[in-house]
Amino acid sequence: MSLYNYILNKEHHKFRKNISLEFDKNMSPIERMTYRFEELSKAETPVILPEEQICFIRTIKNIPDIFSEEEWAEIKSKHFIHELGYFSNLSPNYEDAIKVGLLAKREAADEYGKRVIDAILALTERYKEEAKKQGRDDIVKVLDVVPAKGATTFREALQSFRIIHYSLWLEGNYHNTVGRFDKYMYPYLKADLDKGIITEEEAQTLLDDFFLSFNKDSDLYVGVQQGDNGQSMVLGGLDENGNEVFNLLSKMCLISSNNLLMIDPKINLRVSKNTPLEIYELGSQLTKAGLGFPQYSNDDVVIDGLTKLGYEYKDAIDYAIAACWEFIIPKVGADVANIGALSFPKIVDICLHKHLENAETFEAFMEKVKEEINIECDNICNGIKDLWFIPSPFMNVLMDCNIYEGGKYNYFGIHGTGIATATDSLEVIKKYVFDEKTISKKDLIEAVDSDFEKHEEILPIVRYNTPKFGQNIDEVDAHAVKLLDLFSDALEGRVNCRGGKFRAGTGSAMFYLWHANDIGASPDGRRKGEPFGTNFSASLFAKIDGPVSVIKSFSKPHFSKAINGGPLTLEFHNSMFTDEDCIQKVAMLVKAYVDMGGHQLQLNAVNMDKMVDAQLHPENHRQLVVRIWGWSAYFVELDKEYQDHVMRRQEYTI
Amino acid sequence: MTGIVFDIKEFSLHDGPGPRVTVFLKGCPLRCLWCHNPEGLSPEPQLMIKHTLCGHCGRCLEKCDHEECKPFDRCIYACPNGLISISGVEYTAEKLAKKLMQNADFYIKNGGGLTVSGGEPLMQADFVCELFEKVKMHKAIQTSGFADEDTFKKVIDLCDFVMMDIKIADREEHKKYTGVYNDIILKNFEYLAKSGKEYIIRTPLIPNITDTEENLKKIQKIIKNSPWEKLPFNKMAGAKYPMVGLDFNLFKGDM
Repeated sequence: MSLYNYILNKEHHKFRKNISLEFDKNMSPIERMTYRFEELSKAETPVILPEEQICFIRTIKNIPDIFSEEEWAEIKSKHFIHELGYFSNLSPNYEDAIKVGLLAKREAADEYGKRVIDAILALTERYKEEAKKQGRDDIVKVLDVVPAKGATTFREALQSFRIIHYSLWLEGNYHNTVGRFDKYMYPYLKADLDKGIITEEEAQTLLDDFFLSFNKDSDLYVGVQQGDNGQSMVLGGLDENGNEVFNLLSKMCLISSNNLLMIDPKINLRVSKNTPLEIYELGSQLTKAGLGFPQYSNDDVVIDGLTKLGYEYKDAIDYAIAACWEFIIPKVGADVANIGALSFPKIVDICLHKHLENAETFEAFMEKVKEEINIECDNICNGIKDLWFIPSPFMNVLMDCNIYEGGKYNYFGIHGTGIATATDSLEVIKKYVFDEKTISKKDLIEAVDSDFEKHEEILPIVRYNTPKFGQNIDEVDAHAVKLLDLFSDALEGRVNCRGGKFRAGTGSAMFYLWHANDIGASPDGRRKGEPFGTNFSASLFAKIDGPVSVIKSFSKPHFSKAINGGPLTLEFHNSMFTDEDCIQKVAMLVKAYVDMGGHQLQLNAVNMDKMVDAQLHPENHRQLVVRIWGWSAYFVELDKEYQDHVMRRQEYTI
Repeated sequence: MTGIVFDIKEFSLHDGPGPRVTVFLKGCPLRCLWCHNPEGLSPEPQLMIKHTLCGHCGRCLEKCDHEECKPFDRCIYACPNGLISISGVEYTAEKLAKKLMQNADFYIKNGGGLTVSGGEPLMQADFVCELFEKVKMHKAIQTSGFADEDTFKKVIDLCDFVMMDIKIADREEHKKYTGVYNDIILKNFEYLAKSGKEYIIRTPLIPNITDTEENLKKIQKIIKNSPWEKLPFNKMAGAKYPMVGLDFNLFKGDM
């Protein structure tokens, strides 16, 4: 398909230009945001590409800051600013906006929301004129209805979504998620199919086109690295009546993703004990494509955990996935799911240096671990005060709560990083220092502090010849269970500056590199400068028996207490997906993790040879996609340290 | 009863019905030129060294007092890069069974089970029998069929599924490329075919050796309607030879 190649070759970039804007010092922040949106949407050039069914494409590259550097510095001195300062990782109520149309939403909006909607509709008018000019009556007909009025067909609904999503990005929000797409979009597809105005095949083509639209501007939505843009889509899972949502559209989404082989949208599949193996097989088909998704989350655990944490059942059951893996509540949740991170290896490092000498038993040492986790949680939580967000008039229109005041839920999510490094380190301390007494406290500390230059004989023992997290050994896994329990216990009962609670998680985001550099070597034989495993996974050099032991080990923690999200990550060589039979077996493994009570799983099909070659000849591998932490990216566009990390993860072959 | 195991592979996808755990037993009476598990040939534990990443620090050559290192000229625990390991760990049937049973629920639930492979597992037949009695899941074997008839029967009778190789039909050719005559293999095949066991015959397709039309025709004639799987040649077959200090001779001379 030529539109596909057009986007792939970035030919649409030729329409792009930069803009500069001045902001009057007397304008309030919300006034500036509204003004900026108006100016950007006016400056946008309507571009309709040949063959394109779903239009709207970004032509203004940059989004000028609304504050001068001095102003921003002053705001930051008075407030806690989360990341870029904009709202992110929310799951807006697309369902309602698509159903009733923006004119109806305008009625209830504040004056700024009204102005933004007017600007969107004005840009839509200009798109319509362009469509007329090109003789694209089909597009004119669609834009006659949406986004102003409620969508009446599947195509209108998709176009309406595109304009709304595009506008959220243009407003400056980021990590703009897609939410439970098959749930709110299926009624339109079904109605069209029932009426006979579209065939399944036509709908698939349309959906492919729609999926492609996520990739048109995504290079402008840079996170920590290219690809970290948060366009995550949720499929399947339970509806408010407890019925399985997975439907024809869910299946078609998996197919579109497989057809396109592009990194957006990132697919999340909600599953539970009752999910049949066939759905996992469809998921594994997509895994085979090597995009690093779908990512699976377990309704049984997540809904239970969120409910226990204080979310109403009807909200918990509707959970969606943030940019990476954090569980968020559509429409009413204004949680900040990734506001901080606890480094487990740092806790062990502190205890090693401060408390090991005086600890008489391993249990006494673990008491200190508990104390230090509490202290670290104090530091993290107390450091977040006077949280302030740059106002987002359009996002506020799309949420069923006032996001400035905080939504119905204002929880703060804290990642927990390096759990395997910490667990393995605790095992070393327990086994050699306390149980067998073959390594003295002093020697272990000296070895760690000298990056194993001193007592060099310790390194091979602790690094390669000691039981590790992931080998399904209860005594070792118990440390991980304990660490997560201590973490969630330490956060329990705390109230954050917006009145919400804190949530403990198992994700790492970029902290698997950042936190690893905060400390030197670690007792598990990790050398100074070596990264942790990503998210919730085994240490990079642990000798692991295989994936069955891994899923068993990693299903043991009490996830319903630590429910901020962060998947077990497994890397499979792509030769494991050769035929239907193999794909079914991989599906069995995923299902097994869910049935054992695992919370979230992310599976990659990787090809090491390809990655090695891509480092040498990036020009030949522009389409090679890899999963980073909660998102996928084109391998050749990553910084080398991220490339290297992907290449070092545990890989299983047949 | 103890056995020597050189690898345990969880979640193997091509070693029988469903997902399997495959136990590789050390020692093989055959010397197939194309063997891709050279560490499975010798029945004794042996050193495996990944030479390519070796920094030549010499630490492994320093004297140590580990019991396990005594048969070797190196310390297996000294390598800072984890490049040295012993291929061939001694297990009691009881200990191995216990280890395997830890994950048995997964294999049982998904229609999989245990596969013993090698090497030639029949070389440790008594160990296999004891292991099979202790492991409560579907049991399969991958065998060359090269063992005396009683041994073959004893083990096969305990299996739920048998994967047996018939590599070369011609007696002399068989000797030339595998080091042994195939009389006993063919005899054991007859028993297998009549045993009522579920089985499959497998032939590795080695270029110009086993994959010739003549050989495949002859095999077909022997095995008649038996289920038959032809295994594509593993191009990586030679990769592990240097690690155990062996040469890979398959392509010597004609490449």
